Amino acid sequence: MPRCVLVAVPWIVAGALGAAGCAQSEITMSSAGLPPAPWVSGAVPEARGDIKTSPDGKKEAVRYSGWTTEDFSRFRTYDYDDPRPEVPVAKAPVPAIQGDPAKGRRLFLDRNLGPCTGCHLVQGQDVWPAGNVGPDLSTYGDRKLPDEYTFDLIYDPRRVFPHSLMPPWGAAGVMKPEDIVHIVAFLGTQKSPLPPEKDPERDPKTRARPVGFGDNLDPTNNPAILRAEGADELWSRKGPAGQACADCHAGGALPAMRGVATRYPQYVARYRRVMSLEDFLTVHSPETTGLPLHEEGADNLDLTMRIKMASNGMPVSLDVGRPENGAALERGKASFHKRVGQRGHACADCHTTENGRGADKFLGGRLLANVQSGLTRHFPTWRTSQADVWDMRKRMQWCMTPLGTNMLAADAVEYAELELYLTSFDQGKPMSVPGIRH
Amino acid sequence: MAEIGRVRIRVPSSIKPGDIVKVRVLVIHPMEIVQRKDGKPVDKNYHFINRVIVTYLDKEVAQFETSQSVSENPFFTFSFKATEPGVLRITFLDTHGGKYEGTADVKFS
Amino acid sequence: MERGQSTGEITRRALLRALGALGLSGLLVPLLGNPRGVSAQGNLANLGPEEPVDATMKRLFGSRPIKDGTASIKLDLPLIAENGAVVPVSVDVSAPMTPQNHVKAIYIISDKNRRPLNAKFSLTPAMGQAYVGTNLRLGESTEVRAVVEMSDGTLLQAKREVKVTVGGCGG
Repeated sequence: MPRCVLVAVPWIVAGALGAAGCAQSEITMSSAGLPPAPWVSGAVPEARGDIKTSPDGKKEAVRYSGWTTEDFSRFRTYDYDDPRPEVPVAKAPVPAIQGDPAKGRRLFLDRNLGPCTGCHLVQGQDVWPAGNVGPDLSTYGDRKLPDEYTFDLIYDPRRVFPHSLMPPWGAAGVMKPEDIVHIVAFLGTQKSPLPPEKDPERDPKTRARPVGFGDNLDPTNNPAILRAEGADELWSRKGPAGQACADCHAGGALPAMRGVATRYPQYVARYRRVMSLEDFLTVHSPETTGLPLHEEGADNLDLTMRIKMASNGMPVSLDVGRPENGAALERGKASFHKRVGQRGHACADCHTTENGRGADKFLGGRLLANVQSGLTRHFPTWRTSQADVWDMRKRMQWCMTPLGTNMLAADAVEYAELELYLTSFDQGKPMSVPGIRH
Repeated sequence: MAEIGRVRIRVPSSIKPGDIVKVRVLVIHPMEIVQRKDGKPVDKNYHFINRVIVTYLDKEVAQFETSQSVSENPFFTFSFKATEPGVLRITFLDTHGGKYEGTADVKFS
Repeated sequence: MERGQSTGEITRRALLRALGALGLSGLLVPLLGNPRGVSAQGNLANLGPEEPVDATMKRLFGSRPIKDGTASIKLDLPLIAENGAVVPVSVDVSAPMTPQNHVKAIYIISDKNRRPLNAKFSLTPAMGQAYVGTNLRLGESTEVRAVVEMSDGTLLQAKREVKVTVGGCGG
């Protein structure tokens, strides 16, 4: 019996129309191409999205080393079977306390909260680095807006601007009402005249754009290439079943796999779901050579890179005509526009440019990438800030924690179909793996 | 996997006698940084490359003293004057007694 | 292009012998700490002190005058570094590189790093050109300087500010 999913569920209705507006109407979404039963993850333990409960009842998320263990179970996830709505729109009374502008400024810059400066510039040479996803608030005080209006706006922007990208700081419980009173007091101090700008980099409007990390295919520049070359040994290694990849795919990974990666992610009939190369290796290898290639393990990443390198220079060639791929792409697109988590963000909020969204603007010091430019053809990528290789799934999982939503397993179908949607923007563009990025 | 000490060197494919040649080299190495506990540095034998020796035609032409402030998987670039065909050798020494080497054959075309 | 191989351990004595043959053993006095045997090289005592940059400059150069080298030193650094882990730097000094007149050493110093001296590049005329580059780890936004020592002992300096950036949502 096909998984019961998506027909007339509110999030799909809103999500599918998210980019255009908030009109409510019924949309039927096909479940073609979804596996009949929930997928059992073959990822390494830290990549499965597990939540563990300690004896005292406290819940902790199992994530990669160094990532927060905070549990966000109470907020909506990307899971297709998660029927919950976004955080409900809410109002709260303004606490009867005196707002302290100095305290408000500290809160405004606090990286444990927003930080508000992630999206909004304010005055001060120490403000580094502010973003411009939201309006410049350096002269907000000039407008002399009522304090209660600003309080309501920060508590839940959706009450004032129904399509706002700004998280519902109060309604979602990120900020206490007292915090917001102090921030309102601080904003009241942001008045003309502006002090002279000493540093053109401080203001995101005049800031230089990042230059990147050079030639991703130069092995003296990109350590990921040396890691990928290490997978050649894996290719000819005999697994517990007495077979090696090379036994069926003769000639080494590069010649044997030429062109293969250009078609991924795709619906794989044998497993009845859409899969990336990483997803496929996770199940294909144990069934053939017996070698475990757990998703997000180093071997899986290195072999994925190596197989993709065999298609470098070739155009991404998704089979968009196949009905299962088409249905999956529509579901992936809906996920892309789905508001999730404590912050109530959708991928589209940061990675498209329509209606004041964030792509090509700075979020703090980071320039947000535009999905239209094609974001997937250089994945897996070397990440200089991590000194490690990340694939698309880890990159998605990473986004989950600032959004305040629990991550799904790396090989979750939801992520695979979202990846398929993202890869559609790379269609026809030449592959170039591994990438090198911050 | 890329094990510690893998070296990649790039020199231009076409070199003429007397050319000043730009070399690029990368070596896989963790370049361990100082850990801190309660705000104080932890004392242990940190594993990082602290010396790079460049020889050309068996003569040392450069030496770099490096520290933990050089990025993981260290990258270096430098020039040398290609006077004769022969071997350019780059040797990396680390604090745990490791010695890693890469060579490039300088040929004229 | 040649691939390198790892040749494993080598004893300090054997290395000294080998380098002595090249007339280089005198160069084995590390600037960055005191040698106390290969096995302890990476320990705190051998790393050199955590110190402010003024102390580093004093320790390296004493009271020798350091001239402004911006006319002859091209110090390449990004204005904004996306992260502090990998910050590319290159130094190109216009100098003849003859035995009589060449760049003897280039010091890379990052003022705000706990141990400001990042690397010392010792060159010979055989380099043909005084050009070196590497990737730095910066603890925070800082000025990075290149101090160039000429064969006649002259010191020149060029410096640039690098701002290390950070994201708005955790990254």
